Amino acid sequence: MPQVMVVARNFMDMVAALPASKLDMLYDSAFICEAVLRSLPPLAKKYALQMLYMLAPLTVAAMEEWVLDEYAAKHRVAIDKLLQLRVFVEMRDRRKEVSYKMNQKFQGNMQKYLIDGGSLPREPVPLSVTGRLPASADLEAYALDQWECFLLQLINSSQVEKGTSFSSSMMKTFQRSLLSSRDGEAPKLTENGFQFLLMETNSQLWYIMREYISSAEERGVDPTDLISFLLELSFHKLGAAYSLNTLTDVQRIATRDLAELGLVKLQQGRKDSWFIPTQLATNLSASLSDSSSSKEGFVVVETNFRMYAYSTSKLHCEILRLFSRVEYQLPNLIVGAITKESIYGAFENGITAEQIISFLKQNAHPRVADKIPAVPENVTDQIRLWETDRNRVDMIPSQLYEDFPSKEWFEQCCDHARDHGYLLWEDTRRMKLIVRGEFHPEMREFLRRQR
Amino acid sequence: MVNAIKGLFISCDIPMAQFIVNLNASLPASERFIVHMLDPTHMFVQPHVAEMIRSKIGEFRDQNSYEKPQ
Repeated sequence: MPQVMVVARNFMDMVAALPASKLDMLYDSAFICEAVLRSLPPLAKKYALQMLYMLAPLTVAAMEEWVLDEYAAKHRVAIDKLLQLRVFVEMRDRRKEVSYKMNQKFQGNMQKYLIDGGSLPREPVPLSVTGRLPASADLEAYALDQWECFLLQLINSSQVEKGTSFSSSMMKTFQRSLLSSRDGEAPKLTENGFQFLLMETNSQLWYIMREYISSAEERGVDPTDLISFLLELSFHKLGAAYSLNTLTDVQRIATRDLAELGLVKLQQGRKDSWFIPTQLATNLSASLSDSSSSKEGFVVVETNFRMYAYSTSKLHCEILRLFSRVEYQLPNLIVGAITKESIYGAFENGITAEQIISFLKQNAHPRVADKIPAVPENVTDQIRLWETDRNRVDMIPSQLYEDFPSKEWFEQCCDHARDHGYLLWEDTRRMKLIVRGEFHPEMREFLRRQR
Repeated sequence: MVNAIKGLFISCDIPMAQFIVNLNASLPASERFIVHMLDPTHMFVQPHVAEMIRSKIGEFRDQNSYEKPQ
């Protein structure tokens, strides 16, 4: 069973993991303050607002009086989050009493923000300069197209038509944990890679952004700059044009990379050039849980295990190939069958039955999506059955103990192992017991003490 | 003196257990790996045979399936 999962944490976890000085630097920007405030859980949000005009530090005891005892856990979570993001700063006075004070920069920025509202560091370029801007549907199509192109290149598919201009070293960083390449062999997707392909766009995007940010230092770019730019970008208006001249050099280079990923569209005017954020960019700081994709599905699965995918996308075809047998491909339709062999092939690659089923459900064609269930039950059940069929034999490394000199001793050992939850099997009559292998040192110690 | 033996604890359904027993019996005496047959669905075997058993089961499963030619 695959234990590794591609973790798709959200943006704020990454921000919280920054060292304190960097984090304080981030708070120079009012947008980041706002983005951080938005990301907080409700209670923490309330605390932050409550403390907004409080200049003196507040003791922990005083704060605890705000909550009823039964909600102490929630209070703790909220405070932890605030401390982690350094919205609150812990202080100790002479009597060792702990109190919290709001981060001064954060406080100042938020107060200002409340009074004049936020304004982006750059204004949209007026329409008179840009002329007609792409319609939102076009922009969306562009973004998805670009993203798909990137993904195809990422998995080294032979179907790439136009490559992105990422340097191969950059592509390597992205592929680091998704592809495994042994010397002299074509790179193969790893378990992570397969799971990555089955994730929804936002999680994928986030994963790539994380790699992009964490590899920033190798490229001589401060990750903090990138994070602050990305957060700022998510506040830009979807589909409006912003001049490239307002950006710093680091940001301009980043913009070029982001354009490759489909986060922004670059356009060139007569004198000026500008970028247009797409919905991939504006969704970036949204937490992953509430960004359920509203993309229209394309897969119809029939009770006879045939699968029809109405898609022109090569990426979709590649993904379907992961777990089904593609029989023919028409310009807008992929016909395949879910067979035992194809599903086993997927299991070999570390994809689980649940992932396949949830992929089929999430991408169900609108015609079948309203039906309950969207994927026929006999198909989902069969996929699960095939998976359990692989796990019919359960093997646990263990230790067998026998030849106990007395019944009492045997019973004591049994009880000891059982109390710790490591007992696998016992035979009272023949005085044999089996415990999990990792418990052996402890068991040996116990036997020695008994003697 | 209590005796400790390192090994694998296998739990499975009855047909699979029979398959493993049969596999064990088909090997020459020096290579047999079942240490104790505990009950019809549990057994205790030598520690190094996990991969071998898994691959044999895989082979057995493949014999029972047929893929239609493309």
